[in-house]
Amino acid sequence: MSLLFRIHQWFSFLGNFASYGLAYLIQSIVVLIFVALSFVALIYIFRKYMARIQRRIGPNRVGKFGLLQLIADALKLIGKESILPENRDDMAYKIAPVIVMIATILAFVLIPFGDLAYFGSLAVTHSKVTLVLMFGILSIIPIGEVLGGISTKSNYALLGTMRAVAKDISFEIPMMISVLAIVIVSSRSYVTGDAITGGLSLSGIVSNEIIPYGIIEPLGLLIFFISMIARASYSPFDLGESDSELISGYTTEYSGMRFGFFYIGLFGMVYLSSFLISLLYLGGSNGPYDSYVGFIYLFIKTDILVLISFLIWVAIPRIRIDKFVDLGWKYLLPLSMVNLVYAGLFVLYIR
Amino acid sequence: MVATVKEIEMPKKPIPVVGSLKLMYSMGKYVFKKPVTTQYPEDKGKIPDRFRFRIFLVPEACVGCTLCSKICPNHSIKMENWDLDRSGLENNVVQTARGDRKNLQNKRNIYPDVNFGTCTVCRQCEEICPTDAIYLTHQFEDARTRNSFTYSPQELTMQEEDVIK
Repeated sequence: MSLLFRIHQWFSFLGNFASYGLAYLIQSIVVLIFVALSFVALIYIFRKYMARIQRRIGPNRVGKFGLLQLIADALKLIGKESILPENRDDMAYKIAPVIVMIATILAFVLIPFGDLAYFGSLAVTHSKVTLVLMFGILSIIPIGEVLGGISTKSNYALLGTMRAVAKDISFEIPMMISVLAIVIVSSRSYVTGDAITGGLSLSGIVSNEIIPYGIIEPLGLLIFFISMIARASYSPFDLGESDSELISGYTTEYSGMRFGFFYIGLFGMVYLSSFLISLLYLGGSNGPYDSYVGFIYLFIKTDILVLISFLIWVAIPRIRIDKFVDLGWKYLLPLSMVNLVYAGLFVLYIR
Repeated sequence: MVATVKEIEMPKKPIPVVGSLKLMYSMGKYVFKKPVTTQYPEDKGKIPDRFRFRIFLVPEACVGCTLCSKICPNHSIKMENWDLDRSGLENNVVQTARGDRKNLQNKRNIYPDVNFGTCTVCRQCEEICPTDAIYLTHQFEDARTRNSFTYSPQELTMQEEDVIK
């Protein structure tokens, strides 16, 4: 049973066609609301958490415990004038934040959220290649960043974009190779030794993942975690928008809600990367009684990862761009190759 | 001879992985500690017992000796004329911060006038006052919109709420 069929059941008096249409619509809206709410919660948690690390109190004036602060901020961003730079490339300038925003939200649709008591599986997309689609969507986000940086004709934005591109090309190959190692490991059940299908879909990988893959290949977990920090571009690797050197990188010339889109994209990417790590390496929604509370397992794992990411964000200073490119090409790439070979040997010899 | 240009070599420092982990640990500890910020208007924090700020005056005890204006290191205190009626006192006894005083007179009718804009709360005026007419208190919330920080002798006898009116 899944969320789609449950909603179809509720509306079954409308006939087959109409009830399925409504079910698809409603489950999409449910996912959108979940994503939007989690973004808001995430930004609130980040601000409170950072404040506690710095021994401050954090937002506490708007609403009880400052819970309405984010809504106030969003209203402020919407109400602000969106200042347009004079020499901009108009189409690219306006489309860039939308690309980042939409790609971030679209990626959440592909996540298998696991099972929850009455509803059954909460997964929205039932495709056999969600892994490929996911990393396809992840590679859309840099397009938005590059468009936003170049179209503004600002020196800071251009520098930020060049750094962001240098960062992207140095971590994406190790990231994809470590994902490939996951696909190889999940092509054969390491309990019975039989070949199994579903290795290219996230839900298939999670269902094969009885022991978390992070235990089998810790090297892959390390590489993927570093790559995901770089993809979300927060503090040790926030080279694209390093706000103490380039004013704010490729988002320099953006203001108002267009900047808000980039901001939401950043936090959405932190959340998405935590989801991906917990799905691919930490066992996802697997656990005791996972047909009832699988979603909660996934949620807890993701939130712990989010807190670790925020701690990394707050604690570690930015590394220089040439050092990051060094790290990507000289360390991460060979290590990911070693990890790939190890994964192949593991599948061959472990029965 | 052709001058050769030397390439500047970047110092080779590896990325400090262990140091970063130590940093994360030492910063993560603070999540479980209490914040040090005090929310000022609601929570005034701890004020020490011997903290003093606002200067008060017992006008009946002042003898107009001008010692306070002479000892004041910032020239914050000046003497000012004030025709105070002292006839209503019983047996000529004045209660001050350190006990009762008898038979005090101020024949020149001059009283201290304090500029809080330059006062550094050194408490020398309180110490030197022969009749304990000037004394400092716990009150410190005298911020308000104004052009002058000077308190006339009349205002020095009043509480802060009355001065604002």
